Amino acid sequence: MAGYILKRLFSAIPVLLGISIIVFLIMAMIPGDPATAILGSYATPENVEKLNRDLGLDKPLVQRYFIWLGNMLQGDFGRSFSLNRAVLDEVMERFNATLILAGTSFVICSVLGVAAGVVSAARQYGLADKAITFAVLLGISIPSFFLGMMMILIFAVNLRWFPVSGMWPIYGARDLSALLSHLTLPASALAVVATGVIARLSRSAMLEVMRQDFIRTARAKGVHERSVIWRHALRAAMVSIIPVLGIQAGFVLSGAVYIEMVFQWPGVGRMLVDAILKRDILLVQGGVVFVAACYVMFNIAVDVAQGLLDPRIKT
Amino acid sequence: MSFLRLLSRNRLALAGLVVMALVVVLALITPLLPLADPDVTNTADRFKRPLGDAGLLGTDHLGRDLLSRLLWGTRLSLAVGVAAALIAATIGAAIGIVAGFYGGRTDNIIMRGVDMLMAFPYILLALAIVAALGPGLLNALIAVAAVNIPFFARNIRGVTVSIAHKEFVDAARLSGMGDVRIIVTEVLPNVIPVIVIAMSTTIGWMILETAGLSFLGLGSQPPQADLGSMLGEARSALITNPHTSVVPGAMILVIVMAINLLGDGVRDALDPRLKSGALSRPMPATLVRRDSVPPQPRTEDEAILALRDLKTEFHVKNRVYKAVGGVDLHVRPGECLGIIGESGSGKSVTALSVMGLVASPPGVITGGAVYFEGQDLIGAPYETLRRLRGNRVAYIFQDPLATLHPLYTVGEQLIEAVRAHHPTSRDEARTHAIDLLKSVRIPNAETRIDSYPHELSGGMRQRVGIAMALANDPEVIIADEPTTALDVTVQAQILSLLDDLRRERGLAIVFITHDFGVVAQLCDRVAVMYAGRIVEEGPTAAILGAPAHPYTARLMACVPELGGGRRELAAIPGLPPVVDNLPQGCAFADRCHKATDACREGEVTLVPKGPDRAVRCIDPEIATEAAQ
Ligand code: SF4
Repeated sequence: MAGYILKRLFSAIPVLLGISIIVFLIMAMIPGDPATAILGSYATPENVEKLNRDLGLDKPLVQRYFIWLGNMLQGDFGRSFSLNRAVLDEVMERFNATLILAGTSFVICSVLGVAAGVVSAARQYGLADKAITFAVLLGISIPSFFLGMMMILIFAVNLRWFPVSGMWPIYGARDLSALLSHLTLPASALAVVATGVIARLSRSAMLEVMRQDFIRTARAKGVHERSVIWRHALRAAMVSIIPVLGIQAGFVLSGAVYIEMVFQWPGVGRMLVDAILKRDILLVQGGVVFVAACYVMFNIAVDVAQGLLDPRIKT
Repeated sequence: MSFLRLLSRNRLALAGLVVMALVVVLALITPLLPLADPDVTNTADRFKRPLGDAGLLGTDHLGRDLLSRLLWGTRLSLAVGVAAALIAATIGAAIGIVAGFYGGRTDNIIMRGVDMLMAFPYILLALAIVAALGPGLLNALIAVAAVNIPFFARNIRGVTVSIAHKEFVDAARLSGMGDVRIIVTEVLPNVIPVIVIAMSTTIGWMILETAGLSFLGLGSQPPQADLGSMLGEARSALITNPHTSVVPGAMILVIVMAINLLGDGVRDALDPRLKSGALSRPMPATLVRRDSVPPQPRTEDEAILALRDLKTEFHVKNRVYKAVGGVDLHVRPGECLGIIGESGSGKSVTALSVMGLVASPPGVITGGAVYFEGQDLIGAPYETLRRLRGNRVAYIFQDPLATLHPLYTVGEQLIEAVRAHHPTSRDEARTHAIDLLKSVRIPNAETRIDSYPHELSGGMRQRVGIAMALANDPEVIIADEPTTALDVTVQAQILSLLDDLRRERGLAIVFITHDFGVVAQLCDRVAVMYAGRIVEEGPTAAILGAPAHPYTARLMACVPELGGGRRELAAIPGLPPVVDNLPQGCAFADRCHKATDACREGEVTLVPKGPDRAVRCIDPEIATEAAQ
């Protein structure tokens, strides 16, 4: 197993390099002199000269990439001009908030989505199936940012069950219950689309599995139908559900941008949008590379989980 | 044409189509409608409510007419979404076709790049592109199109690869056609349907994503507004004037939902598995729909398990396949009954009907009874069946690689079988499981118990299958071709194992096979099935010595040696009749060398021939001897 994990980790290196190249190339599309573009309104001649010296911006493209990569590998993602702060510090702090939001959402959508898919498959064409299918259709069609706004309107403004926005109360203790009450609405709004997608794929994965011979064997053994579905069928269906969970994690992570805007959540997505509007290129660059790299690592974890779950995969 | 008809049968998809058509028409005629200018501000009339004096939908925070803005915004959003989809599809398809057509290194390099792009969380990549190009609707459009290119490239490449190696492409190459011409004339026409389907499933997404970027303030810039930026601008007044948010938000929802409904309909209409019902899950027990009173058991048989006039059908769409058309069978304690027939004769369905294991849909038991110790199991409540399954009546199935759960160890599956009926501790059950493995002569049972099915040989797996059947000391074992997948030596071992177990434990065995050699080795009595019915029945020795039904005689004639392993009974000319369209009279008549007109007229019944024997033929082979 350890060898397998190591192998997967090594296979991530080219992907990470590829990601850095793509981000670098996208940022290189910016028209005009890069130093001026990065500095924007801070582009005094001294600043331009200093930046050119630090980042080698006057050098050819390939050389510039390696200087950038080298700096990043040493933990230097550059400096944000709009915030006057090291990019990495800012990104890490913001990423923390995003991780809390997206992580909670991911747990919600995985559990609810799979459960809904299983129930839907087990009661195929029954009332529960029809209700779930309709809810799923609604869920995957509603824009998360609109849903978030409507949730604020209903649950925060009218019913006053949850705070309207933010991650912490402005006054008062920053404890778990405060966090949870702030987290509930945004995490649910973010989870809805992914829940729908996961439910849909879980349903068809379950239907596929339920026709297999080993399900008939379980029934022939006299295993209770509950276990037939939740133990036998779901276990086998998980093999095709888990990769879907991995993909959806990416959607949840990046979809957090909208939710963070709607709920004023101090996450990395809102930071990126602000940075784009302020043309803080280094902050965007650093944030995107950092989040994408984290996502690659997460996908390796998904692969490893898959290896643990399916003994037929050579580990 | 049939595609449209299928689509129209799906009411939800039709609703989606209608709504979408309505929205598109509205968007197209917007410039012609007598609407207020969407961009004229009138701060005196801010935030007027819908249905009031200021237009149907009221006004927004700058006093602009909401209805007008909504329609113009919809127009813009649709246009941007469609444009993004077209761009993504064109570039993606071009990349996919090049990669798939040329293969080799080109393919490798391109697909590596595509994989890298797909490693990004989707929206993040779009944000990076907008960051580089700067905010603006056109840039948002480019970004959304760009992040969708990999999806198209990958799909189209897959299709192209499968086409690039077809004969007609090779033929075109040999005839000296250039690559470009081959791509345009041979490959493209085959790829376009896939592109269209991929577009129909992603266009909703693209509308949503461009709206999202506009919502974030990165897409359309004021005063121009698509639905997303309308929503974004309305956000600051969400609490005081929610209607300005609800109007554009609901519109996005309606559009995306209509597209999704339509997309689902298209997908369902194109998916052949849905039509054949292959995507429905079998219910816990076979459906029972008996309209006649089930026949009583016959006590004189002293049977532990008796089938009386059992009828099982498959209902697929409007067709009815009579897989089992009235079968009477019984087996006594300690006896082995063989059921033999070609594939499709209904022998397996008969066996599975006993415990309600025929998959339904499409299976339905429409008549007859199955008596186990005098209790009718057909139509018995699920819990009654479950308590008997594996406990008193156990099954051994054909292919143990498919019938054992691939992700649980052999031990876990055996322990589960025990604990399903006997609430013992896991440790006790494990000890019992090891004993079971030993009793089916699996060496090193203590270590093998922790193996997964794929780690065992075929013979070992089938022994595990038998051990599982024995787990609760059942009275009856129904073995459905348990040795067919095995080679000859292993087959012989398994058969002698079953024979020993039967003698040691007094088991009744129903053994289903297509191999007379196996019957001879194991069974006391045998029933021959053809087209869902028993055509001959009797003691094994008597039937082997002198088959009465022409079909039995032919079956035996094509068995060269006993226990010869996997053999199809193809040596009989012709095919068994399709059971949704059984001929009048004798079902075997078309393949029988003795068939006369009389055979095709009335129903041929199963008539007793001598002690313990019966045959369904008006001109049996040994009529005279057997009668004496
Ligand atoms: S009934 Fe006639 S056709 Fe049928 S098996 Fe007997 S002889 Fe042949």
